[in-house]
Amino acid sequence: MTDLLRAEGVEKQFAARGGGMFAPHQRLMAVAGVDLELNPGETLGIAGESGCGKSTVARLLTGLIPLSGGRVTYQGRDLAALSRAEMALFRREVQMIFQDPFSSLNPRMRVSEILAEPMVIHGIGTEAQRRDRVDFLMNRVGLLPEQLSRFPHEFSGGQRQRIGIARALAVSPKLIIADEPVSALDLSIQAQIINLLQEVKRELGLGFLFITHDLSVLRHVSDRIAIMYLGRIVESGSAEEVLEHPRHPYTEALLAAIPSVDPKKRRKHAAPKGEIPSPLAPPSGCPFHPRCPYAEERCRVERPDLVEKDRPGHRAACHFSEKLPR
Amino acid sequence: MALLEIKGLSTHFSLPRGILKAVERVDLTVERGETLALVGESGSGKSITAASIMRLVPPPGRIVSGSILFEGVDLLQLSEDKMREIRGNRIAMIFQDPMTSLNPVFTIGEQVAEGLRIHRGLNRAQAEEAAAEILAQVGIPAPRERLKDYPHQMSGGQRQRVMIAMALALRPELVIADEPTTALDVTIQAQILELLDRLKEETRMGLILITHNLGIVAERAHRTAIMYAGSIMESAPTEELFANPLHPYTKGLLASLPENAKPGQELATISGNVPVLYGGTAGCPFRDRCPIGDAGCAATYPEMHDAGGGHLVRCLKAHD
Repeated sequence: MTDLLRAEGVEKQFAARGGGMFAPHQRLMAVAGVDLELNPGETLGIAGESGCGKSTVARLLTGLIPLSGGRVTYQGRDLAALSRAEMALFRREVQMIFQDPFSSLNPRMRVSEILAEPMVIHGIGTEAQRRDRVDFLMNRVGLLPEQLSRFPHEFSGGQRQRIGIARALAVSPKLIIADEPVSALDLSIQAQIINLLQEVKRELGLGFLFITHDLSVLRHVSDRIAIMYLGRIVESGSAEEVLEHPRHPYTEALLAAIPSVDPKKRRKHAAPKGEIPSPLAPPSGCPFHPRCPYAEERCRVERPDLVEKDRPGHRAACHFSEKLPR
Repeated sequence: MALLEIKGLSTHFSLPRGILKAVERVDLTVERGETLALVGESGSGKSITAASIMRLVPPPGRIVSGSILFEGVDLLQLSEDKMREIRGNRIAMIFQDPMTSLNPVFTIGEQVAEGLRIHRGLNRAQAEEAAAEILAQVGIPAPRERLKDYPHQMSGGQRQRVMIAMALALRPELVIADEPTTALDVTIQAQILELLDRLKEETRMGLILITHNLGIVAERAHRTAIMYAGSIMESAPTEELFANPLHPYTKGLLASLPENAKPGQELATISGNVPVLYGGTAGCPFRDRCPIGDAGCAATYPEMHDAGGGHLVRCLKAHD
């Protein structure tokens, strides 16, 4: 089976302003060589803290911003080699859902127009067919027909995210990339939206790339998980393997830092020391070594590769994975 | 005597659409050395409760009834001058976003020292010395050098430490922390919460922790109060609340957490949306979303019921 989407050695550099007005630009390596693959119908979760490059990866995979290195293939074909028509099809089949549905919905358009627009752009259906499809989508995401003529500001956050989901589904995508889709929502609404995403994924057999900093949400929705730190994947594998038996100290620290409502899960670990280093000046060797409780001299000089550890498909970039309790 | 005792606090906003009851008949107590968690979704009134304690309710909001006893003195009866002596000095606040609550054109040193000069009458040199000491206490490395930095030169986690330093500089008896770690990454969040806990142990201050994160509540708070649409729906010692929730809203919140479900399984949900309640609406604020509500709930605003052991619940059906 060919994978739906694959990233090989994907890199992204940004030019960052130097110290003064005339100082030379510095290079910020936002994504420093990422390999990923996503199979049809599968959910891959990407987690990491702010600045780790997870949102940049999403934008690279959708072709929204150009790569600095590596390549992205969709159904086996290099994005860079697609013709105009093929690129249009790719843009139709790969849809995004954003964190803040308010800033990603045009405030001057009615919901009916917002939902029909992707179909208009991709030249799908007659006007009557598009209207039918919009009615179907409204019903599918749990909105009422009488809300079609309303504007985005008339909806609550959860309802706006429903509109964002309906818009992504309008053109029958094969893959949805969701960047923090529930992070801005109230707790009682979060569960509704997670359920809706799970339902449409199953019904339509969609591939899902789910990006969030919330590991409890990620555990719930993901088949496989990749953990990012300073522009690189430091651990990947099945959701259960990565979260139950982390092989990278950063994953272990992230898990320990999550406050839990379950008294049995409450591990009173000391919080991981130190702060996330600036991507402008990443540490030598392993990028996590200044904060790592297991680091040795080797970690300061030699950057570990992402390699398979003691279970098939479970990879970690750590010289001393065996020091972590299994 | 409790450190803080709020009784029957109501704060209303006169809006063109009607009277918005942002805070309605709220009772809360905080003891010395205790952490009280105030939990609720956006618009539930938790931040307006905090603003009411500080007497900083933004217009057109107004405290319409109740009392706020701080060491036995009703803050609502004090003159503005007297209140200013308490604000920032004996009751301090920590906000969610340190970038907007630190002044970008003053150095960290000037801002931390300001309160010490105004309230403690220290001179510039003494205040700077004290500021450096406080920054060291909250875990800022090389504090003396950082005094000259401006807020934008620090990371989000460090700015939040500075905010905590400013709040604690005058050794307040009560600190209100409004979503103090929501803008921070989870590893930095853990550091800041541990810092707050440690400082609370050292100074025996009372802490009101406002948050929507139930994990933080479960791990850090002695007592927890759940707010919904302006009212406290349930309050109890934290362990009791999580082990034995009585209010349908609390139960719904806990059930909807992905952490409490099997991976991939459908999550339990609370139907509907968070309401905005205007005056004139009788009955229980949660009735439209409640799985067990009936006609009686639409007619009567439920009184707080004492279920024993300090467990209070505002629900007509929860104690049959």
